[in-house]
This record gives sequence, structure tokens and C-alpha cells, in this order.
Amino acid sequence: MNDAAMNPPGGDAVPPRTPTGALEDLSLMGSGGRHDRMGFKLVLGLLWRCVHLLRPVRKHLGALLGGFSLLSLALFPVVVIGGDVFWTRALLGDPLTAEEAWLLGWDPAQTVAVAKLSESVRRELVEQVLWIAVVLTITLTPVFLGLLYYGMWILQRVNQLLRVQLMDRLQSLSLRFHAENKVGDALYRIYQDSAMVTQLIEVLFITPLLSFGRFFFSLAVVSAYDPQLAGLLLLIWPPALLIGAFVSKRLRVRFRDSREANSRLTSRIQETLTGIRVIKAYGIETAEQERFEWSSREAFRTAFRARSWLASFHVVIFWVLGTATLTAIAIATLQTRDAVPLAVAAAGFTAWNLGLYNVFKGQLGNGTEALRDLFGTWGRVQDIAIGLDRAFEVLDLEPEVQDADDAILLPPFKDRVTFRDVHFQYQEGHPVLAGVDLEAEIGSITAIVGTTGSGKSTLLSLLLRLFDPDRGAIEIDGRDLRGIQLESLRASVSIALQENLLFGETVLENIRFAVPGAPREAVEAAARVACADEFIRGLSEGYDTLLGERGTKLSTGQRQRLSIARAILKDTPILILDEPSASLDAQTELQLMENLTAWGRGRAIFLITHRLSTIRCSDSIAVLADGRILEHGSHDELIAREGGRYRALADAHGALSAATAS
Amino acid sequence: MSERFREDSGIGADTAATVIRRSLRFVWPFRFQFGVKLGLLLVGILPGLLLPWPIKILIDNVIGRRPINDPLVPYPGFIQPFIDRLVGLSTSEILWAVVGAQLMLLFFSGSFGTSGNERDGTYSGLSQGFDTATRSENEANEGWSFSGGILGVIDYCWTLRLTQAFNHHYRSKLFRRIQTLPMTAFDDERIGDAVYRVMVDTPAITNACYRVILTPIATPIAIGLYVATMGVAFSGYSFLVWAGLAAIPVALISTLPFAGMLRRRSGASRQAGATTTATAEEGVSQVLAVQSLGGEKRQLAHFERDSWASFGRYRGVMVAQLLSVVGSVVMGTALAVYVLLRVSDLVIAGQLSVGDFALLFYYYVRIAFTASGLGALWFRLQENAAGLHRVFFMMDQPGEDDAGAEPLHRLRERVRMEDVHYHYPDGTHALRGIDLEARVGQRIALVGAAGAGKTTLAYLLPRFLEPSAGRVFFDDQDLARVSHRDLRDQTAFVFQETTLFDATVEENIRVGKPDASDAEVRQAARAAGADEFIERLPQGYQTPLGRAGGKLSVGQKQRLAIARALVRDARILILDEPTSALDPETEQRLVESLRLASRDRVVFVVAHRLSTIRSADLICFIDDGRITERGSHEELMALPDGAYRGFVELQARGVA
Repeated sequence: MNDAAMNPPGGDAVPPRTPTGALEDLSLMGSGGRHDRMGFKLVLGLLWRCVHLLRPVRKHLGALLGGFSLLSLALFPVVVIGGDVFWTRALLGDPLTAEEAWLLGWDPAQTVAVAKLSESVRRELVEQVLWIAVVLTITLTPVFLGLLYYGMWILQRVNQLLRVQLMDRLQSLSLRFHAENKVGDALYRIYQDSAMVTQLIEVLFITPLLSFGRFFFSLAVVSAYDPQLAGLLLLIWPPALLIGAFVSKRLRVRFRDSREANSRLTSRIQETLTGIRVIKAYGIETAEQERFEWSSREAFRTAFRARSWLASFHVVIFWVLGTATLTAIAIATLQTRDAVPLAVAAAGFTAWNLGLYNVFKGQLGNGTEALRDLFGTWGRVQDIAIGLDRAFEVLDLEPEVQDADDAILLPPFKDRVTFRDVHFQYQEGHPVLAGVDLEAEIGSITAIVGTTGSGKSTLLSLLLRLFDPDRGAIEIDGRDLRGIQLESLRASVSIALQENLLFGETVLENIRFAVPGAPREAVEAAARVACADEFIRGLSEGYDTLLGERGTKLSTGQRQRLSIARAILKDTPILILDEPSASLDAQTELQLMENLTAWGRGRAIFLITHRLSTIRCSDSIAVLADGRILEHGSHDELIAREGGRYRALADAHGALSAATAS
Repeated sequence: MSERFREDSGIGADTAATVIRRSLRFVWPFRFQFGVKLGLLLVGILPGLLLPWPIKILIDNVIGRRPINDPLVPYPGFIQPFIDRLVGLSTSEILWAVVGAQLMLLFFSGSFGTSGNERDGTYSGLSQGFDTATRSENEANEGWSFSGGILGVIDYCWTLRLTQAFNHHYRSKLFRRIQTLPMTAFDDERIGDAVYRVMVDTPAITNACYRVILTPIATPIAIGLYVATMGVAFSGYSFLVWAGLAAIPVALISTLPFAGMLRRRSGASRQAGATTTATAEEGVSQVLAVQSLGGEKRQLAHFERDSWASFGRYRGVMVAQLLSVVGSVVMGTALAVYVLLRVSDLVIAGQLSVGDFALLFYYYVRIAFTASGLGALWFRLQENAAGLHRVFFMMDQPGEDDAGAEPLHRLRERVRMEDVHYHYPDGTHALRGIDLEARVGQRIALVGAAGAGKTTLAYLLPRFLEPSAGRVFFDDQDLARVSHRDLRDQTAFVFQETTLFDATVEENIRVGKPDASDAEVRQAARAAGADEFIERLPQGYQTPLGRAGGKLSVGQKQRLAIARALVRDARILILDEPTSALDPETEQRLVESLRLASRDRVVFVVAHRLSTIRSADLICFIDDGRITERGSHEELMALPDGAYRGFVELQARGVA
């Protein structure tokens, strides 16, 4: 559709010119050009930005949180008490506390007032605790699993929202964007990068809360007994943070490389499959295979670098944690051995003993595990941040063509379409349209002719507002297109493209593409006008036949007619046909043009064509050359012009017909 | 042509077993690496055996001040030497020795026991979403080690490399396979589905192999080691071991009922994911159609629907897994309770110390956990089975096979079709009884109404299609016996709809002849009438074309495709509607170029346009799959009531 090549991609591309000022700044996209500008603050900032993505599911999140809270609240006291009863009382034999005896239904005389519990009591205690544990496990496990499932559902919803947003944005970006960017990259962003949003809650809220909570709890417990050892726990932070800071940036860079390499691999596969016909016809499978393998190796290489760094980071952190823990344990062991009295008696402990030792060990383990989770999560967060960043790169692009704030709906078409001094170029210095003036009245068929690459398709793509003109204006009934809502405009103009782009769905669905839910009769009527009805019925399942990828089961002429049917079904007052009869034989072409002429009464039709036979069916002819309309008029008027372009064209055909008539 | 690659996602248990067995054969080329991994795995188990002992020494011998060589329970053999060194040392010294040993353990293998089970594996699982496709990244780059520390890093890197090498090997294989599929295979298929298979389904192979090979070997050995160690210290506690081993049938029973469910849902999840990929791919690559037809809402709605369905199917997989967890929890709890009861009894009776309790229970948990992995193996493999099946299905598709093919001699004289028939898989006839002969130096025009069979006939020459009956000859060689590669080297085909690559103009032309000189490229471009517009491009022949050549008009693309064919040294040139998008002047030039090209080639042109057909040496008029008239333009026009004549007059009438 574009007649001149555009700027090559790259960081120094000229930002596209748009009158509205909104830019698609393509210089930032993909291709590794983006340095890692992120730091700790920016990573968190990115994650925070995503929080608003959680808004649509906040009610569910609340319910889920409530559920988990209830569960924990129910379990917590049970675990604490049960653990104490089992370990200290039943196994070790220490007497119960009054509360425990009361809870478990024991006679305090037997259990509280004694120095040590009897064997039979202890056995029974064990049974009691175990029973409770079993009942709780069996009843609460399904609840817990159910909550997990619910949580997953919520996160899937969030992911879905992001995917749809991405797809929506991609569809509204200009064709220029799509020419510069690969399909595989878009797919990767929609799929893999957007999935990172499911980690938000865990990474922003759950893990930090839990980890810090656990850590500070442990710290509190430990410092209650022995502030010095607590100090040791705090000493873990400086080296761990240093390591974390050192590693973060490197991780991010590697993660980005890995995502981009995998993106490129996806693109590679997609491109090969798109061009498989040519590849097989010209026997270049081996070259394609090499390119694939190279991409595959690259993808693996970058993934290896990223992941091995992450794994090593974990290992080093664990060393730090482990060393601190062992030191603390060593000190605690000595103190326990010597039964060092505590500075402050707490929770029934006056001096270091085995019970305290175990508690201390437990808390230490708890605290360091919390830190391990925290740092481990931080490592993963770098990857999540990169994924989300890639998703937002797309979402942050402003489409070139947008509705103005005061855009109106297009009222019914009743007069004319006007091109006023329209200028357009795809890139600096190579103008495609240089002052086009053209008018087409309702009820007319206007043929646009010109040599290949003269800008015919571009001119009409402006009518659709796939782009906006650099200078000049296009008006429908005197209203500038830029003041009309896009959706309304495109609902009034339909086009049958020169390239027949169909989808891998049924014939019916393909024709209904622009008018989903149109009744079958309407579809068949449109197909009849497009001379497609007959061959469709001849297919194995008629209108319900499933087409292959890009509709390849049909011949080009058949696809062309489907395309036309699709445009006709829209039933718009303005219709554009780009080379409608290129692949049709003369008989079908004649029939088609007859049908269109009849159908076109009361509409404005634009035809792009080379074929004289098609041109003859139109009311007026516009010759486009050198970016302007050089000649405009009816066939008879133009043919009479001496040395005119149209005449030359007709002559070429005329000479032919003279020769064949004999 | 082929059946849609929508194989039944509900594969049976026997199919699952078959594909799993088949994937094991893939391991053979990597057996050395697998062996090393197994070794590393076993070495990694060892530190775990040491773990409970340090803390026990600390508790009993340092804090409890018990003499070192007089324990309640004997030490296992591998600890004994260390213990001997400690005899006679003061408690402080024992402490530092133990801590020192633990630090070394920590450094080398990332484990140290404070609560009897403190160890760290080495993983790098990155975040995954809740959809099968998004989990495949981790599968494709699976690296894991049960050890930490130095050993863990080494083990991890080795594993990751192995996984990657394995995956790379097999996805390359799959990709190669896809490329050899006949062209018509893609008539029914969607690109996104193939992308999914290569990227998401192939990692299922490595994963399955790890599970199938490493688990059954490592598990019994690990269990054996635990049992042996424990047995030395705690003889007479065999109930513990049996309870641990009972975890195998427990895991099996609790997961088996859901195996089929998991497998089916896994397959469905993958299928839904492939569909979503395909929908997304179509929407993005055909965005021109979507935008110009105002179909954004509709396309988005489709995508939304497919995507949510994909999520839903994944939830289905989750349900199967969660259900199996419920079963295991119930039965596992019963076992654990039994063990706890008996061990508590022993502690209460004074036969075991509290420290021993922790130790014993630790052993039980390790044994049970390891054993359950074995019991649940079949269940876990079901997920892989679904992916494996998808991969193998595609690999098994008949491709263009050149086994036993003869080399093709360079065409000397003529191309001949002998009584060729072609019908589609559903039985409709496209061509009947085609007899045709064309010589080098001739231009043959294939003419007829839309759908008469012209393109089908053209496709037979490079064997994009195989004739249902009859034969095609190049000189005396039957094409059916010749390799596809040779055949396509000798033919140049211009498709009706042009496909260009995301490369420069020059590179696109060079596809026809990779070692063409610059002069040859330019000459071909000139002959195709493309040189003018190429020179006007910003970088001339070096201009990159962008995605799908989206920067050129259709007519310009068509001329590039023709240049691509002309630069090729092929004796047979076939053009399908080469002039449909060209204006008359360019068309005339092309016709002239074809005349020149035909001097040492056989040129076939499928066309509607009179101007293109007129000058052919031989015109074949095709109607309903048969050649009804043949001859030169003048000869055919002379036929009274000729079909060709009627065809021409129809065109001329339109013009006048």
C-alpha cells in the first residue's frame, strides 16, 4: 500500500510527523537499544505503577485476604499451643500450664501441680495433639487449596486484562509501527512479558510483608533474651545489601537480553512460516534452518547467563546467612552449656537451657529463612521488572491517529467526498502526494488510475484515516476527517484491499469480519454481489468451510471476491475497491462490475485499477501522476485530449483490441 | 490437503506410555551428560546424610556435656573418623570443630544443620504466569541442584547446559521437520500453532526425560542411603522405614485416579494456548486488514475469548493437581501420625532422647518425601505426555522425503506431462487427463476461467503437489523419482501473491540465486521493470523492506518477485498471474523480458490478460480441469465458436 520506502529502523529514526503532536516514539522499542536506566527506586516505581492494574479485582483480593486471615487466625493459636504441649510437655515431661490443662480438659492436680508428667498422661497428650492435628489438616487443607485456586483465578484475571490492553494498543498503532516491528516480538510481549503482572501481589506485598514480619518477629524474640545475639542478626544486612546492589543491575541487563533473544526467536519462526512458500520454492530451507539455530542458541546463551547469575546470587546470599547463623549458634551453644543467666527473664526462661536453645534455633532459622526468601525474591523481581517494562513500552506508545477531544459522529453521507490540496510523504524528501485535489459526488463511481507506485492506494488509505495528511484536508460533506470519530468514520467507509488478507476461520466468519453477527442472508447477498456465492456453495462445507492460514485453501480470484463480499457486507455509503478484478477472468469481471454498479447507486465508489474494461464502468476517471491529479473527467472527455495520459493508456489497450478484433 | 493438526487432545494412557518411552530414545545421544548429572545428583545426596549429626553433637555432647564416645546411639561409619578426632577435646574445642566442619559443608555444599534439615538447593526458577505457555521458559531452561554452595553451582550449571543442549537439539529437529512439510500442509494450519509447538511444547521432552530417568534411579539410592545410615544408628526401628516406603503406594493411589484427567486437561490447555497464539499472530500480522475494515473490536473480542479460554483450561489442569494433593495429604497424614505416635512412645519410655526424636522424624520425612516422588511419577508425567504428543504428531507428519531420489539432470529439451490427473483429498477433481509438451525456447500460456485448474497445473511442475495419476517428465526423467531439492533448483516460481522478507531489496532478489553478482541482480531487476523504482528508494538496493515488505506497493512487490525468479539459473520459469497488478506499460516491458528469458528456458505463464497471453508460442485453454484447446493465438482465434475466442472477445468487448 505504501509507495515509497520509509526510514530504516533504529535509534536515530526521524520521529514521525503528526499534526496532533502525539508521537509514536519508535526509537525506544526493542532491539536492545535501551540501556538499563533503572535503579532500585525505578524498579519499585514500575511495580507500583502496576498496582492500578489490580483495581478491577480489588473486591476479590479483599475476599481472599479475608479468607487467609481467618485461616491464620484460626490456626495460629492452635499451632503455638499444640507445639508447646507436644514438645515441651508431652515429650520432655514438663508440667502443663493452667491454661493448657483447662483447654485440653485435664485435671490440674494431675498435670499442673506435678513436677513431671506421668508416662500415661504424656502418651495421652500426644494422642490428643495428634488427633487435633489430623482433624485440622483434613478439614483445612481443602479450604486452603480452595483459597489458592481463588487466588490463581484472580491473578489470571489481572493477566488477562493486561493482555487485552496490549493487544488493543497494538491494533491501534499505525502501520508504520507494524512495518518496523516484528510479529514475534509483539507475541512475546503479550504472552510472556505480560505474565509478570501475576507476580505483583506476591512480590510487592506478600513476600515483603511476610519476610519482614518474620524477620522482625524473630529479632524481637531473640533480643528479648539476648540483645547481643540479636545484633548479630542485624549484621547480616550490610553484606547482603551490598551483594544485592552489585548484582541487581547485572541481572536486569541479562534478563532483558534473554527476553529480547527469545523474542527474536519467536519472530524468526513466525517469519519463516509466513514465507514458507517462497522458502520451499527457492530451496533455501537450509539457510533458514541455520538462522533458526543461531537464534535458538542465542536465546539459550542469554538465558544461561541470566539464570546462572541468579543461581549464584542465591548461593552467595546463603553463605552470608549461613555464616551468621553458625556464629550465633556457636555462641548460643556455649551459653547453654554454661547455663548463662539471662539479663531479662522472659517467657518462663531465667537462664539459657535446652528449651531456650531450641526456641532460639527456631527463631534464627525462621529469621534467616525470611531473609533468604526476601533476597531470592529480589533477584526474581529484576526479571519481573524487565518483563513489565517491556509490556509498558508498548502501552506507552501513543497511536498516531487518534480521536480529537471534540470529534463528532459522522452524519449520513449525502453530498460529496473532497480531497483538498492533500500532501503526504512517508519520510522526508520523498513526497508521495503533492497537492491532490479531487471531488467525488454521491452516486458516482470514480476510477483512479496511474502507474504502479504513483500513490493511488496511499491516497485512499488517507480516506480511511490510516494516516493523516501532512498538509491539506480530506472532507466528507464538508467535514474534515480529523474532526470525526475514527470508529464512526470507518463504519462509513469500507475497503476491499488489493492484498487479500483473510483469517483462518470459516468463510462466513471471514465475510462477517467487519459486521460480526450479521445474518446469514445478508452474508449470502453480499457474496452474490461479489460473484462469490456460487463457488462458496461449491466448497466442501459451503459457508461453514474452514479456511487455512491466511485463507490459503482458495485461489487468489476466490479470495479476492471474498474480500469484496466482506467490504460489501458493511453496507457503507463510501466504498473503496483496490484492484478488484486483478485476478478475475473477463467474464467474472464483467459480471462483478455490473453487480457493483447496480449496488453502488446512492453511494460513492472509488476504484483503483489498470484494466480498461473496469475503468469503462466508472463515471469519472482521475489520473494520478507525480503526486497530483493530472486529468479528471469522463472517458470520452479524456480520450479526446491530445497527448493526454489517459489517452495514451487507452491507446495501449486500443491497439490491442484492434489487433484482436480481427 | 492434510488434516488439520488438531489431533485429539484426549490421548489415552497407552499413547501416553508410548510417547514417554519414545522420548527416552532421545536421551541416547546425551547419555554421557545425563550420566554426569546422575553422579552429581548422588554426590549431592551425601551432605544431607551428614546434616542431622552436628546438631546432635552440639546438643548431646557440648551442652549436655556427654562424653563423645559414649552416645545413646552408635554413629554411622562415615562419621566415626570425625568423632574419633574429637575424643578428649574440651567442649569448647568440640564446638569449634563442629562449627568449623559446618562452615566447610556450607561453603561446599550449601548445607548446615541447625534444625536438622537446613539446606539450600540451587534453583533459578523465574516467575511464571498461570498459563501453560508462560511456564515453558522455565522448562526450557531447567537448572536445578539439590545442593548449594560450590557443588550446587557446578551441578546447576551442568544441568542447565544439558537442558539447553537437549532442547536446542530437539527444537531444531522439529523446525527442520516443519520446513519439509509439503506446502499444502499449511493450507489448513495456523502459524501460531506451529510457533507454540516449537517454543512451548518441545521443552516437555527434557522435563520428561529428567523425570523418567533420574527419578527412578536416584530415589531408591537415596532411600537406601538414608536407611543404611539410620540403620547403623537406630537398629530395630524398621517400622519407620516401612512407613516411609509406604509413601510410594500412598502417592500412587492418591494420584492415579487423576492421571487421565491431568493428561487430558493438559492437552486441552496446550491446544487452547496454541489457538490464542494463532489468533494473536493473525491479528498482529494482518493489522492492515483489521484497521482498514474497522475490525479492531471484533478481533480483540476474539483474542479475549481465546485467551480467557486458555486460562480456563489451565485452571482445569490445576484442579486435577489440587485434587491429587488432597488425596495425598489425607493418606500422608495418616502415615505421619502413625510414625509420630510410635516415636513419641519411645521417647516417653526413655528409649530415645528428644534430640533423637528430631533426628528420626527427619529421616522419616526425607524417606517419605523422596518415595512419594517415585509414586507420583506417572501422574506428573501426564503433563509432559500431552506436550510430547503434540511434538511427535508434527514430527511424524509425512514430509517431502528425498530418500532414494535420483539426481536431476539439467533440462536439455522439453517438459512433458503425460495423462496427469489431480484431485483433492475430498475427491473433487482439479485436473483430468492433461497431456502437455513444452520445449526450451517456448512460452506457454495457461488460460482459462477462474478455478479451472491453471494454478494447480503450475504447482505440479516443481512438485508442490503430486499428481494423483499420470507422470511429469523433465526430458526423460520422471519427476516422481527425483529429489525435491534438485527439482526446485531448476525451477523458478513466481506466486500470485508476493511474499518478501524483512531484508534489503538486494537480499530479497538474491534469494533466487544466493551467489549472484551485483551486475546479475541489477540486470534481473531491469528485466522485471523494477530497477526504476528501486533506484528511487532512499538506499536503493540496500533499502530494508521491513516486515512483510510492507513499504512497497503491490505492483512493486510483484516486480521484485519477478526479478527474484529471473536472476535464478533455472531452466523452467513459471509465473502465476505476474501482471495482474501492473499497468499496461510495465506489462508490455515484462512481456518483452519474458520473451528474452525464454531463449534458453521453458516459460509457463498463467494469466488472464490478453496482452500477456497474446505473444505466447503455445496457449493452452483449460476448462474444468482439461485442456480443451491448444495452439497459437492466431490458430485458436480461427476456431469457429472456440472457447478461447469467446474468452478473448469478452475481454475486448469490455475495452471498446
